[in-house]
Amino acid sequence: MTGLNEIIHQPVRLRIMAVLVTLKEDDAVDFTYLRDLLEVTDGNLGAHLRKLEESNYISINKEFVDRKPRSFISATLEGRRVFKEHVSALESILKNQGGGS
Amino acid sequence: MDLSPREAEDALAVVQMMMDKTRRAISNTGAYIFLIIWGFVWLFGFSANHFLTGETVGYSWMVLDILGGALSVVMGIRLGKKFRRTSINKTGKNIGYFWLLLFVYCGLLLLVVNPVDMKTGAMIIVLFVMIGWIAMGLLLSTTSIWWGLAITALALVGYYLLPGIFYLWMAALGGGGMIALGFYIRSRW
Repeated sequence: MTGLNEIIHQPVRLRIMAVLVTLKEDDAVDFTYLRDLLEVTDGNLGAHLRKLEESNYISINKEFVDRKPRSFISATLEGRRVFKEHVSALESILKNQGGGS
Repeated sequence: MDLSPREAEDALAVVQMMMDKTRRAISNTGAYIFLIIWGFVWLFGFSANHFLTGETVGYSWMVLDILGGALSVVMGIRLGKKFRRTSINKTGKNIGYFWLLLFVYCGLLLLVVNPVDMKTGAMIIVLFVMIGWIAMGLLLSTTSIWWGLAITALALVGYYLLPGIFYLWMAALGGGGMIALGFYIRSRW
C-alpha cells in the first residue's frame, strides 16, 4: 500500500507524530511534557525519538532554560508530509473496504 | 506493508485520540487561564465596589490586582517552560509592551479627566481593557473580538441604563463573561 510508513506506524512513534503535527509548524514541545502526554518512560521515548530523528521526521533542539538543559522536539516538514501520507493511506484502506462490501 | 481495515481503523483512532489529547493539553496551559484569573478579579473587584465603601474598595482592588498579576506571571512562566513557540516568542515582548503602554495611557487619561464619579473611572478602565482585548483578537484570534465587542456593549448598557447596579452588572457580565469565555475556549479544544 503506497503511503504507509513502517517507521511511523509503530504505536509509540505514531502517537509521537500525532502530537507533533498537532502543534503549529514553528512550535516545539519539551521532552518531559511529551513524555507525560504519551505516558511512556524516558528511555522508551528517547529511543523512538532517535529513530524518528534519524529518518529526518523530527528535529530535537537542546537549549538551556533557567540554566537547565532541555530538549525541544518538533516535526520537520518532511515528517509532516510523511505523516499526512500515512494517515491518508490508512483512510484509503477503510474507504476501499467500504467500497468492496 | 499490509494492514487489515481493522488495524487501519485502530491506528486512525489512536491518531485522533492523541491529537485531541494534545489540543486539550495545550489549551490547559493556554490563554484561557488568564481570562479566568482576570474574570475573577473583575467579579470580586466590582462586587467590592457595590457592597463595600470608602478605602476598603481601593484596597480590595489592590489586593486582587496583585493576586491576579502574580498568578498570571506564574502561569506564564509555566506555559513558557512546556512549549517553545517561535511565533509567540517573537511577538510576546511587543504584546507585553503594548499592555504596559495601554495601562500607562489609561492612567494618564484618568489623571487628565480626573472623574469625580467612580463609575466613570471604572468605565474608562473597562474601555481600555476592551481596546486591548480587541487588539489581541486582531493579532491572535479573531473570534475573541466578538466577545470583546459584546462585553463593551454590555458595559455601556450598564453604565448608561443601569447606573444603580452598574458595579454588580460589571461583576456578573464583565467578570462572569471573561470566566465563561475562558471555559468556552478550554472546552472548544
